[in-house]
Amino acid sequence: MQPVSRRKFLATSSAGALGVAGAAAIGPMASAAAADDEPTPDQLAHTGPALLQVHDAAKGEVELLIEERSIVFTDKRLVARMLRASK
Amino acid sequence: MSSHREAPGISKDPVADNTDTYAFRTPNNTITIITNYLPVEAPAGGPNFYEFADDVLYQINIDNDGDGHANVSYHFRFETRNTNPNTFLYNTGPITTLNDATWNRRQRYSVTKVEQRPGRRPKVTPLASGVPCPPCNIGPRSTPNYPDLANQAVKQLKSGELVFAGQRAEGFFVDLGSVFDLGTLRPFQDMHLISTAAAPGVDALANVNVHSIAIQVPISDLTRNHSVPTDPMKPEAVIGVWGSAKRQKGTAYDRDEDHRRYGVGPWKQVSRLGNPLFNEVIVPLDRKDEWNSVKPWADERFAKYVRQPELAALLPMLYPKTFPNLKALNGTERKDLVAILLTGIPAGPIKGFQNFTGTTLADELRLNVAIPPSPTPKRLGILDGDLAGYPNGRRVTDDVVTIELRAVAGATYPLIDSTFKPDGAVTVIEDGTFKNLKRTFLNNFPYLGVPYSGYNVPAA
Repeated sequence: MQPVSRRKFLATSSAGALGVAGAAAIGPMASAAAADDEPTPDQLAHTGPALLQVHDAAKGEVELLIEERSIVFTDKRLVARMLRASK
Repeated sequence: MSSHREAPGISKDPVADNTDTYAFRTPNNTITIITNYLPVEAPAGGPNFYEFADDVLYQINIDNDGDGHANVSYHFRFETRNTNPNTFLYNTGPITTLNDATWNRRQRYSVTKVEQRPGRRPKVTPLASGVPCPPCNIGPRSTPNYPDLANQAVKQLKSGELVFAGQRAEGFFVDLGSVFDLGTLRPFQDMHLISTAAAPGVDALANVNVHSIAIQVPISDLTRNHSVPTDPMKPEAVIGVWGSAKRQKGTAYDRDEDHRRYGVGPWKQVSRLGNPLFNEVIVPLDRKDEWNSVKPWADERFAKYVRQPELAALLPMLYPKTFPNLKALNGTERKDLVAILLTGIPAGPIKGFQNFTGTTLADELRLNVAIPPSPTPKRLGILDGDLAGYPNGRRVTDDVVTIELRAVAGATYPLIDSTFKPDGAVTVIEDGTFKNLKRTFLNNFPYLGVPYSGYNVPAA
């Protein structure tokens, strides 16, 4: 795993962390996140499945599993939105 | 069993359960490596006959510089498809060739070679794709000439390797029911602490199948300097081999086709096997899945179980007055077992032989490739003076249960202390199945025998 900040992650990952296919549960989260950090079409170009795993909600620590990679980043607001959606 | 369902986690994932690994010299300066999966297949496997998993990465790994890391790996990935959507049957008629339209459920696989390079990215070379597996051995109507059918799945790759992946008869033998009934060693159960009348051993793996991945590779593809060593005493003559299986970190069901699973994320090792029985009888139950998850270079953390093996302490307790010398030895560091299992045997104790890979403690099946195949293999390998047998690599016919049992009981301690005298019982204890063994092996690749058909051998 490679820990990165969320901003760096969004800026560098061609996968587009929040706009992934095959993970329906995080679709609404992607829209919510886009409000404060709009992804570019290029960042949303990934077509394969991806999974997001919240390791530690209190710290906002999230792990993205995509292709054959694991990317850990911290985003308390994203985690908070996900948890709100689960209620 | 060698490593069949040996850990709580992997026992629930048979398609990824590496049950045995073999590595031995074969003709024309080649090495054959076989890794087995899917333990204890009942031959009558219909309607869903056994097969490899599409979401598992199967690996054969070779360490040629003794650091516990793979220098060369062969990766095998499988793809399964049904050709007839309108039948519940595995086959709708006899299967005589691998192209027959009567065969509904097929597997193909790819082979990729990965070579590590210091300071650079690994060299990844796709060797083949779409290589067919044979079907399982179903019965005389469905697979009327199974040996010929399976032989069609032996493929020579353009890069020179010979490969096979498919069902085989189980080659490993052990009196499992006896061993795990408080360490009973048939036919010596009359000497056990809880004594019963002596009776022959029972082969727990008779008449079952496995799935094998076999590859035959030129020696020069595996050695550190790409040579074909002829001097067994040269360090470059020794390679370490192990099999491993990996799953991706995440698994989920598809949103649109919710019966389909997919894997995503980095690959995590869930099973491995170098020396037979290492995880089975050396590593405590609580740490067996941890052992499966790490690479050989990390085996230092398990070395204490080799230095003071639990089995060596149990034998004198379970067989009172039978192992007095072993009892006296217990408490001493078993450097003989550390050498056999974790570093290889250094030059000196056995004339003209070594398979030492250095001080890194790593469970690998060490093979000195300069030792030619024996014209008359002995089932007890090095214990019986046959330097081409276990623990110099492992052949399909080697009686590894007896070899390791005797080693743990003290047979090999004189290698590091010539004053030690093994107990008399050490020369007679053995896996009790050997005398009644019913196994047929092949004289050529892939060496493990033709699998049992479900028609002739019902499920036990």
